[in-house]
Amino acid sequence: MKSLSELTDFYYKELYPYLEELEKTRNHILSQLKWYGGIGTVFFLIIALWMGKNFGLFHPLMIAVAVGFLLIASIAYRYLIQGYAKDFKNHIITPLIGAIDSHLLYNPDFMISQYLFERSNLFQHSIDRYSGNDYVKGSIDGVPIEFSDIHAEYQTRDSKGRTQWHSLFRGLFLVAEFNKNFKSKTIILPDQAEKTFGNLIGGWLQSINIARGKVIQLDDPVFEKKFVVYGEDPIEARYILSHSMMMRIVEFQKKISHPLFISFVQNHIHIAIGTGKDLFEPTVFKSLLDYKQAMEYIHTLRNTIGIIEELKLNEKLWSKE
Amino acid sequence: MQIFLIILGIVALVMILMYNSLIGKKNQVDNIFAGVDTVLKKRYDLIPNLVASVERYMEHEKGVLENVTALRAQAMKPNLSDDQKIALDTKLSAALGAITVAIENYPELKANENVMHLQRSLSEIEEQISAARRAYNQAVTDLNNAIEMFPTNLIAGWMNLQRRAVFEITIAERQNVNVHELFNR
Repeated sequence: MKSLSELTDFYYKELYPYLEELEKTRNHILSQLKWYGGIGTVFFLIIALWMGKNFGLFHPLMIAVAVGFLLIASIAYRYLIQGYAKDFKNHIITPLIGAIDSHLLYNPDFMISQYLFERSNLFQHSIDRYSGNDYVKGSIDGVPIEFSDIHAEYQTRDSKGRTQWHSLFRGLFLVAEFNKNFKSKTIILPDQAEKTFGNLIGGWLQSINIARGKVIQLDDPVFEKKFVVYGEDPIEARYILSHSMMMRIVEFQKKISHPLFISFVQNHIHIAIGTGKDLFEPTVFKSLLDYKQAMEYIHTLRNTIGIIEELKLNEKLWSKE
Repeated sequence: MQIFLIILGIVALVMILMYNSLIGKKNQVDNIFAGVDTVLKKRYDLIPNLVASVERYMEHEKGVLENVTALRAQAMKPNLSDDQKIALDTKLSAALGAITVAIENYPELKANENVMHLQRSLSEIEEQISAARRAYNQAVTDLNNAIEMFPTNLIAGWMNLQRRAVFEITIAERQNVNVHELFNR
């Protein structure tokens, strides 16, 4: 895999002609947005003033108009950046992924299957809406890997019968083959209970989580502080989570600063990183040539693909070779 | 009178809960020890093969090989207590480690596919054993804590539960722990 500086070079040298062109489009879109935004705001203010005089400022109709304006604005925004986003993914993200490793395929509109997401057992709620994009699939050092942006939601009805949507998970989801064979399920979740309620009560709360199964107490204090592990087989869980593996997971968590969920099911590792946003989307309000912005794309991609090396999934047991 | 009955009921309930949790912990230890036993047996099965294939080359390490064979024979005996098995496993691990180190000195052995295959099987089983040991140690620690801590120690004494021995963690396993991290916390 290429180093960070090589990739930065690649971004600014090889991709420069496209970046320049996209920058022009971006500036054009930006001025369009300002123009339409200005007109929209004036229009809205006039209507608001008129309605405020006739119905009062906090009339329900007023709220409906405001929501309507926001809806139109967001649709218009999406429509305006549609082509730009597509060009960005085709001409910037695609070659960037190719530069990181030529064995990877990229499809901006596809996502990891819902089956794999549910197989991970990481999020137990039923899913009512499942979407995603930016799908990457291939192999790194002979380890099959796939990942994409995922947004999984469920809906509830309140007492008045209105439906509400809730995010179950939003972020990056990755599946890779694990380098050891195992039969049972092992699930690692961020340790919320122990963080909020302390060791004693938190530990007790975890142990009575019936839906999750048995808590597995591990012998790495740093790891135990950050994560809680549920598993069906205490021996197999420790076979997967060797001392060095626990240390690597802790190191990895330090790097990403988002909630990290990991599960081991059917000889595969499933990793969910709750970034809370859609990754690999082009910036509109910042320049594409901006160093910080460029580094964000490169970092995210490199760190994600680097998970294989980071967790040493490429060091296979000979019986799996 | 009623209050007395209620208190008596609560006390009985707490006693039952404590009794059951102790039994659960004891069974968990036995259950996991069965898992430890399985992987240990896997290793015993490999030893004769390993000894047979390195014997011809290792003239100077005869003593080590005989030691391993003798330890295996002891470990295969029926009716060993858990503590005896644990003690034998520690010795056997050390003896096998000595063979692994010795093999490094024999280029013929390192080129021998059969020996390499055996060594890799051994190291894979070693990882499984290490996991099983850690699981066992955790279960034993849970049980030992319950036996010694108040108020479960009262019931444990009455049930005649004994403390169990844990596996010593070998140096190789300890190496994986990041010492630097431990001191900088």
